[in-house]
Amino acid sequence: MENPAIILWIPIILLSVASIIKMLNKGGPNGKPWIRIEKVEENE
Amino acid sequence: MSNHLALRSGNPALQSSTFRNHLSSVTDGTMTLSGTVNKTAISLVLVILSAAYSWTNPAMHGLVVPAALIGFVLAMVTVFKPTLGHITVPAYALAQGVFLGVISMIFNAQYPGIVVQAVFLTFGTLGALLLAYMSGLIKATENFKLGIVAATGGIALLYFINFIMSFFGSGIGIISSNNTMGILFSGAVVVIAALNLVLDFDFIEEGAEMGAPKYMEWYGAFGLLVTLIWLYLEILRLLAKLSSRR
Repeated sequence: MENPAIILWIPIILLSVASIIKMLNKGGPNGKPWIRIEKVEENE
Repeated sequence: MSNHLALRSGNPALQSSTFRNHLSSVTDGTMTLSGTVNKTAISLVLVILSAAYSWTNPAMHGLVVPAALIGFVLAMVTVFKPTLGHITVPAYALAQGVFLGVISMIFNAQYPGIVVQAVFLTFGTLGALLLAYMSGLIKATENFKLGIVAATGGIALLYFINFIMSFFGSGIGIISSNNTMGILFSGAVVVIAALNLVLDFDFIEEGAEMGAPKYMEWYGAFGLLVTLIWLYLEILRLLAKLSSRR
């Protein structure tokens, strides 16, 4: 293998992506999503 | 008090009982997450400055063993006297920086470039585990803590036996060997060291929630620093083993 460090980055990247996906979906331990898409009513 | 505190952290410096022993002595403010983050950042800057100085200054190379011993003494003082953390933790960071600078220089001379890779991998691991902890992907449950404590204790025992055996010109081959088993062993140690970070985050969060005294911020920073230094050294060792097979 030309650069052995590359293989060590794979679990770090996977863990980061999984964490970000979890945060976006569930919003972490307090259950509030980071991004929330809501329908905006007229004159709201 | 919840059973959350029933088990101690994998890091011998970080125990739940530590907070109980100091809760009664709150006089000038309480421990906060931001305060601990700031003190961790200060400690890391001191380690990096000290390491850079000892790497570039040949006069410091003879100080590697004294620096390691002084670091050990300062760590023990911090564990048994956390109120002195504002003095002992920065001093510990400086002493460990000297040690890490010389060790890193030796590794880099043998395998050019691996120190930069190890530094980035260490901070990458810290960031990934912080994200995993914040998102709740990895939770510091009682079983998780028990597993990490047991695994860390096993590694410490193995390293201690290896240290004793080294006096007789022998050693446990798997620790330094670059064969497949040696690499798998190093990989497992890196994973255990990385998971100790979760216990450190949990310890710091718990201290802030419980309203531990202000000086425990230095203690939390110290715990995180100990784990990060261990993680860096293990990543360095793993990269050296992988590089030696090229």
